[in-house]
Amino acid sequence: MTGGRWAARLHLPTLAVAAVAVGGWFILSRRYGSFVLPSPVAVLRGLVEIVQSGEVWTHTAASLGRIVVGFGGAVLVAVGMGLLAFLWRTARGVVHDVLAVLNSTSVFVWIVLSIIWFGLSSWGPIFTTFMITLPVVASNLVEGVESVDRRLLEMGDVYRLSGRQKFVAIVVPSIVPYLVAGMKVGFGLALKVSVMAEIFGVTSGIGYVMNYSREILATQMVFVWALVMILVMMATDKLLFDPVSRRLARWR
Amino acid sequence: MAVTLEVTGVGKDFLIPIIDSVSFTVEAGDFVCVLGPNGCGKTTLLRIIAGMEPPSRGAVTLGGEPVSGTRRHTKKVGVVFQEDRLLPWMTLRENVELVQQPLGIGAAARRATADRYLSLCGLAGFERYHPTRVSGGMRQRAAIARALAIEPDLLLMDEPFGALDAQNRRIMQTEIRRIWRETGRTILFVTHAIEEAVAIGTTLIMLSARPARIRELVRNDGRVERTKLVDHLDTMIMEEVERQQDTAR
Repeated sequence: MTGGRWAARLHLPTLAVAAVAVGGWFILSRRYGSFVLPSPVAVLRGLVEIVQSGEVWTHTAASLGRIVVGFGGAVLVAVGMGLLAFLWRTARGVVHDVLAVLNSTSVFVWIVLSIIWFGLSSWGPIFTTFMITLPVVASNLVEGVESVDRRLLEMGDVYRLSGRQKFVAIVVPSIVPYLVAGMKVGFGLALKVSVMAEIFGVTSGIGYVMNYSREILATQMVFVWALVMILVMMATDKLLFDPVSRRLARWR
Repeated sequence: MAVTLEVTGVGKDFLIPIIDSVSFTVEAGDFVCVLGPNGCGKTTLLRIIAGMEPPSRGAVTLGGEPVSGTRRHTKKVGVVFQEDRLLPWMTLRENVELVQQPLGIGAAARRATADRYLSLCGLAGFERYHPTRVSGGMRQRAAIARALAIEPDLLLMDEPFGALDAQNRRIMQTEIRRIWRETGRTILFVTHAIEEAVAIGTTLIMLSARPARIRELVRNDGRVERTKLVDHLDTMIMEEVERQQDTAR
């Protein structure tokens, strides 16, 4: 590979910009003090601390656990809604309207409702995550259902394929890319929303510890945990969603 | 077991009359080409024969059994559409195996049959390719192999070479004639290209402009010289095209 290609592959241009940004950050942190803008060195030190103490794993696991339950539930219900929309004409309209309402409801509504309904427990963030990611995954899925090529279904009819055979051979493969796309966007949303909801009432998780750090004026820890979130998102993308998407797109 | 197709007084209205009344018989082993100007109702007629749509009038029987959209009949009908309608996420082989499933054929037999017909259609070696990786002509060959794999009593083809370039079209015309000779299938082939029809069909049915009626039925057994036949039909089809333009205005 030529030198230019290697540089691009290692994201060297981005790293160069990042280095300049970190340099600027360092200078500004000197100016504004450690409460407002902790220095990059302090942030790095904080990161090392939580890795060494194992805290990074306990809090990340707590957050991820809630996300998996909330997001997983949303995917299941979204698949159910997609099936309904596929099988019944009238259901399609209802599903559309329900999703329109859910899509326009702000996160904060769910957070407040979840505190009222579930008190200060893990179910709060789980419920909020569920309600926010459901419309995203379901909307993508319904779009997938509506874009199943009718000419292929007609071909299936002509060749006397049973309902089940048409579903497995034609409908499902048509829809899976939409589902995966919805899940990728939904998971990113789930991560952000769940962490936000953890500010209200739980005692573990990334959101909780970020808020706690703010309260005890350890601003550099806020940055550290933000970095952890970013790394979790990038890891899931690279290790989970991208490989799955690539495998599905093999035939394109 | 020779299976005959009988079309009796078939007519179709859809807001306007598309087909007036069409009657003809296709004997087992025939290669019938249905010709007509664009929009005359040829595709509609083919869809009615395939059982994809019901006629407004008249009836179609295949081997004595009525063909209807709702009730299944025991005869096998293969269809090759203008677009290949292959499943893009399956290999060519898997596409041809899929349509054998409703016939209750086992997996090993399905694969053997698929490979045999893909080879017959000139696709040996390409069984494991996906449709996006092969050319348009090859995709249509795969669609033909798929239709043949069910060993149909009747093979319907709706302008199957319409999307191919001129060169591929000529090649495929020779190919389908060869395939017909080698398999002995009964074929009903819809086209608007006179030369194509004369090159491949044993019987030619010319439809009039919409609402369709049979304008002429010609046996293409070599008694009439080919170029003369082409000229004759060409004149006729241009008359019908003009007639259709007039009614459109």
